[in-house]
Amino acid sequence: MLGRGLKRKLSDYEENMAGLSSAFDSSRNLPYSLKRQLVLNMCLTKLQTYKMVVEPNLHRSVLIANTVRQIQEEMRQESSQQPVNVCPIENSLLMVSDDDMSSAISSILKDLDFMEDISPPTSLVPAGDDEPKSPESTCLKLEDDRQDLKGAECVFGSFEISNSTSYLKDLAIDDIFEDIDTSMYDSDFCVPPLMTPRPPSSATEETLKTFPSCNSSSANNIPICRTDLSELDHIMEILVGS
Amino acid sequence: MAGVAGGGGGGGGGNDFQWCFSQVKGAIDEDVAEADIISTVEFNYSGDLLATGDKGGRVVIFQREQENKSRPHSRGEYNVYSTFQSHEPEFDYLKSLEIEEKINKIRWLPQQNAAHFLLSTNDKTIKLWKISERDKRAEGYNLKDEDGRLRDPFRITALRVPILKPMDLMVEASPRRIFANAHTYHINSISVNSDHETYLSADDLRINLWHLEITDRSFNIVDIKPANMEELTEVITAAEFHPHHCNVFVYSSSKGTIRLCDMRSSALCDRHSKFFEEPEDPSSRSFFSEIISSISDVKFSHSGRYMMTRDYLSVKVWDLNMENRPVETYQVHEYLRSKLCSLYENDCIFDKFECCWNGSDSAIMTGSYNNFFRLFDRNTRRDITLEASRESSKPRAILKPRKVCTGGKRKKDEISVDSLDFNKKILHTAWHPTDNIIAVAATNNLYIFQDKIN
Repeated sequence: MLGRGLKRKLSDYEENMAGLSSAFDSSRNLPYSLKRQLVLNMCLTKLQTYKMVVEPNLHRSVLIANTVRQIQEEMRQESSQQPVNVCPIENSLLMVSDDDMSSAISSILKDLDFMEDISPPTSLVPAGDDEPKSPESTCLKLEDDRQDLKGAECVFGSFEISNSTSYLKDLAIDDIFEDIDTSMYDSDFCVPPLMTPRPPSSATEETLKTFPSCNSSSANNIPICRTDLSELDHIMEILVGS
Repeated sequence: MAGVAGGGGGGGGGNDFQWCFSQVKGAIDEDVAEADIISTVEFNYSGDLLATGDKGGRVVIFQREQENKSRPHSRGEYNVYSTFQSHEPEFDYLKSLEIEEKINKIRWLPQQNAAHFLLSTNDKTIKLWKISERDKRAEGYNLKDEDGRLRDPFRITALRVPILKPMDLMVEASPRRIFANAHTYHINSISVNSDHETYLSADDLRINLWHLEITDRSFNIVDIKPANMEELTEVITAAEFHPHHCNVFVYSSSKGTIRLCDMRSSALCDRHSKFFEEPEDPSSRSFFSEIISSISDVKFSHSGRYMMTRDYLSVKVWDLNMENRPVETYQVHEYLRSKLCSLYENDCIFDKFECCWNGSDSAIMTGSYNNFFRLFDRNTRRDITLEASRESSKPRAILKPRKVCTGGKRKKDEISVDSLDFNKKILHTAWHPTDNIIAVAATNNLYIFQDKIN
């Protein structure tokens, strides 16, 4: 039910957008602020759509993010010059706060980094170079990367898992935690970026709900799982024993 | 020298000649299979071979037939020479990502022996393919029968020398090198160096230098990835080696700039030797200014003195000695400037058009929408718009110039901007290295046009 309603809302929205964009192109009477708001909404919608795709297009994301930043900057300058001049029409459209925009851009770009650049490029850095950007001077095979990831950074690990929504649906929560070196969860340093305060988008909310244990208190949940397993073993022993 | 080429009819390419339809390859079906969409077109150094790559990871090579005196009109037709599957779809289990098999670029190597070599790449892996002919086979082996069955060595009483006998021509393609695991982001360009030993591959943030013989190592020569990805504002969109100076290459960016780098100055070419950027025209500023300034292709002229860049609405020719502005600017479809919002909404504004030079660098060609493509003559400043369509596909039919009506009354044979089909885009075109033969990829069809000298 909810899904159907959501879909209808989206396609209506798309139709409205198409109508609005041709209005933007053809009409000369649209006030500048309205045009700007329209473009901003389109940008944010696109960025939102990209968030839900497994591998967003980096080129497009950067171009759209730059456009948003540019509009943001313009609006900021305007508001600092004229603090009291808000067009009533603007309020009824999707008004997005500065923080939302910045965080949307940041999260898109961060996602692209985590999703893509986990295995560093194979490259030789010769001696005497100014700033070696790739500290790896030996060939890295993909298998080595897997081992490194599992052991090392839980921040990367948890963020990657919670971001890839299709991955989530296929696995049970316990299966994911089996792979992770749980000793890392004892560290205070380990706080996934998801918990940074910002208005959550629908996609983010969904992932947060699916993983109630994917936060800094997860260390407490692991022992509970372990207790469950040992209890199960105990029960099995009794059953088999008798 | 600076100038803008406006509209106008007339022939493109100089010397008052006209373009004629020659051939079209591909299915006629209205229903286009996604895998058949052509994603790259490239002539080899002699122009005798024409390679295409498609979204399904296949490479098809056409060969020009030798001119036949008895049939002077079928001047050098291109026929299928070899077809092979270059790349397969892959799944990266670590990141849960599918790697597309689409061929992004094909680049030929200069021919050094009887075999032909080309580099083909998808988003992540570059492959060196050897295409060789076999028109003879050996007969009369000692150790095996004609069927290939091994003969019992004890039964052999006499030895003979195998003789070579002619057979039907067989063209074989075999992968000789696979250059993998060097690109985190999507590869957009490959370019063979003039030293014929090395080549570069570029993705969104990095450029790597390879030796053709060595597959397990590459040398990172450009890295624009910021320490903090949130600071990323620019990506690499195309890169190419200079045709004569093996230490020089250029790369273009999403901000409409081109950097020329000299590999002799430092190992990591993060500091450019030259920086090409045209100052923005404040009168044409819009919300989409940056997006349409993103360069989709960069090509050196054959002479090596100029380079050409393609952004969304125009083609610019730069003199390598002048960094502050291009020497020539050609408007491809300026009528789209008033439609940018709609084009942004349907993502067409992100379409990456390529451009190419003719052999003598006197003309340039690039694609547009509605299966239109544009040719500009740099000397006469005349330009022409032609269409790749089945309707004008009669043998040796002269192509009629097309015109887009921008406003006011639409003349006969003109097409209005709103009637343009934005799904029919010509992104990939190629010009024969010496002759006036052009190859134009229209979705899943390859059109070949030739000149008809009056």
